[in-house]
Amino acid sequence: MASLSIENLTKRFGTSVAVDGLDLAVQEGELVALLGPSGCGKTTTLRMVAGFLPPTSGRVLFDTEDVTRLPAHKRSTGMVFQSYALFPHMTAAQNVGFGLEMRGLGAAERQAQIEKVLKLVRLSHLAARFPRELSGGQQQRVALARALVIKPKLFLLDEPLSNLDAKLRAEVRIEIRALQQRLGLTTLMVTHDREEALTMADRLVVMESGRVRQIGSPRDLYDAPQDAFVADFVGRCNILAGRRESETQFRTESGLVLSVDIAPNESKNANAFALRPERISIQPGAKGDLHGAVQAVTYLGSQTEYHVRIGEEIFVVIQQTPDANEPLASVRPEDQVSLHWDRKSPRLVPQTSV
Amino acid sequence: MALLVLPACLLVLGLLIGPMALMFRISLNQFSPTQLMIEAFSFSNYVQAAADPYYQEVILTTLGMALLCTALTLVIAFPTAYWLGRLESRWKSLVVIATLFPLLVGNVVRSAGWMALFTREGLINMVLLKAHVISEPLTLMYTPKAVVLGIIAVVLPYMILTIAAVIESIPRDLEDAAANLGASAFQQFWRVILPLSAPGVAAGSILVFVLCMNTYATAVLLGGPRFKMMAPAIFDQFVRGNNWPMGATLAFMLLAVTMSFTIFGSIAFARRYRMR
Repeated sequence: MASLSIENLTKRFGTSVAVDGLDLAVQEGELVALLGPSGCGKTTTLRMVAGFLPPTSGRVLFDTEDVTRLPAHKRSTGMVFQSYALFPHMTAAQNVGFGLEMRGLGAAERQAQIEKVLKLVRLSHLAARFPRELSGGQQQRVALARALVIKPKLFLLDEPLSNLDAKLRAEVRIEIRALQQRLGLTTLMVTHDREEALTMADRLVVMESGRVRQIGSPRDLYDAPQDAFVADFVGRCNILAGRRESETQFRTESGLVLSVDIAPNESKNANAFALRPERISIQPGAKGDLHGAVQAVTYLGSQTEYHVRIGEEIFVVIQQTPDANEPLASVRPEDQVSLHWDRKSPRLVPQTSV
Repeated sequence: MALLVLPACLLVLGLLIGPMALMFRISLNQFSPTQLMIEAFSFSNYVQAAADPYYQEVILTTLGMALLCTALTLVIAFPTAYWLGRLESRWKSLVVIATLFPLLVGNVVRSAGWMALFTREGLINMVLLKAHVISEPLTLMYTPKAVVLGIIAVVLPYMILTIAAVIESIPRDLEDAAANLGASAFQQFWRVILPLSAPGVAAGSILVFVLCMNTYATAVLLGGPRFKMMAPAIFDQFVRGNNWPMGATLAFMLLAVTMSFTIFGSIAFARRYRMR
């Protein structure tokens, strides 16, 4: 396994800029996820790292080796494609053996390694099947095995879970993460699914319009987003425009005064109040400073989501679903409720033009 | 729903199966120079034609030409078909029409044009002589080479479009995946693109092979009177010799050879590429 360095990487298609001066370092054994909406340049970045696309400028390094001009087939990266891209005319075993064959390994040696890696992904019994005879989850594991068996310098995942159903996705997520940690795979993953990124990555790179918005651990990004775009993209968030009124207060554009401490790294341009829905506690009755009428109550099983109108603002609140005998359980639309939060929970961030 | 195929079925039955049955019956009749056709029921025409060194040579020439032209067409068509299949442009349909454009010119007209190129005083010799590349005019007309060129020019669009349609259906990801696993451009072609385009190669080759086996105008106009392929030979029997029984016999021999090569070829191909 190698480390990956991306230096000032830029890709232009005609006049449009897909990736704009990207810098990123992935440590050996680390899983970094590129997260962003479609068209943010994350897939273009991955394709440049794999060697499928030549960058307009900038460099890609594996350890200290500059691979920017190296063709894809000489880069030794192991990629799992969104479509899995299994060869339909080859069995699972032949798919897995393809990379070994390209490396000139003899049949016996290939066979041994194919068996080993298929066992790793628990597919030994399906080695002779063709891709069309396998389920989506099984195809995905063949794609994983095929990428791993060549002992790549870098493991690349392109939206690896997007073609799986929700239940399977949660399982495979954990499985890939466990495998990645156990084998110490340096991994670059591309996803537009924040849950996938938050649960799997050591670090996240939030991208937008070809640029990096923020790099950090999932917790950094979730709890301390640098701007409203990141705050909104990594999880649900109440974002209200306005300005800081005092050391403990923020005034929204509609005149609502909200309590918030100053975070150590708060931006001078901060003009938006960001607060996660689960950081707000809700109580029945018009008590306290902040109260209003419930607009909607949505039961989500273990959690319940409330929409509360206070003045001209709507707050989204997510709480553990209360027991049936708690007073909160009987809250209905139009009922009065009051909201509270720890002054340390909200963040003031710059609004973004998104 | 079954009714939808009725018109086509009736047409094939009336205009293909019917006349062929009639032709087969004729091939069993006897020929006499004075009475032309005599009612009979014998395979002696087949025996006679198969034993005749002249027809043996004609059928071998035809088969050789068809196999050679099919192979050459395949090699020439594949790169273009790949390019066309991978083309992502709003002009794509124009390119497809441009590929089909040569088919708008009939074989006779086209071959006449080739004659103007190939004769001793033709364009090719004129240019080469003027450029001092050659000192004597080349003999191009009435050579098998001219026929091969002429046939390929006719059948190329069929091969290109048939293969391009299959290439189009091969996900591009597969080439990237192969490259990712260490396959060079040639290995990607040889191990992924070629096997997966096998159905298109098979269909295109069969189509082209059948067209080549039945070449008439190109063979007559570019090959000259001494170059004989089956279709002109059959025409000669029917029209020049008035020998319908022998003409019909040769027609069925051509059909039999074409069909057996097509069938055996497809089976061998399917085995090689495990098409299911």
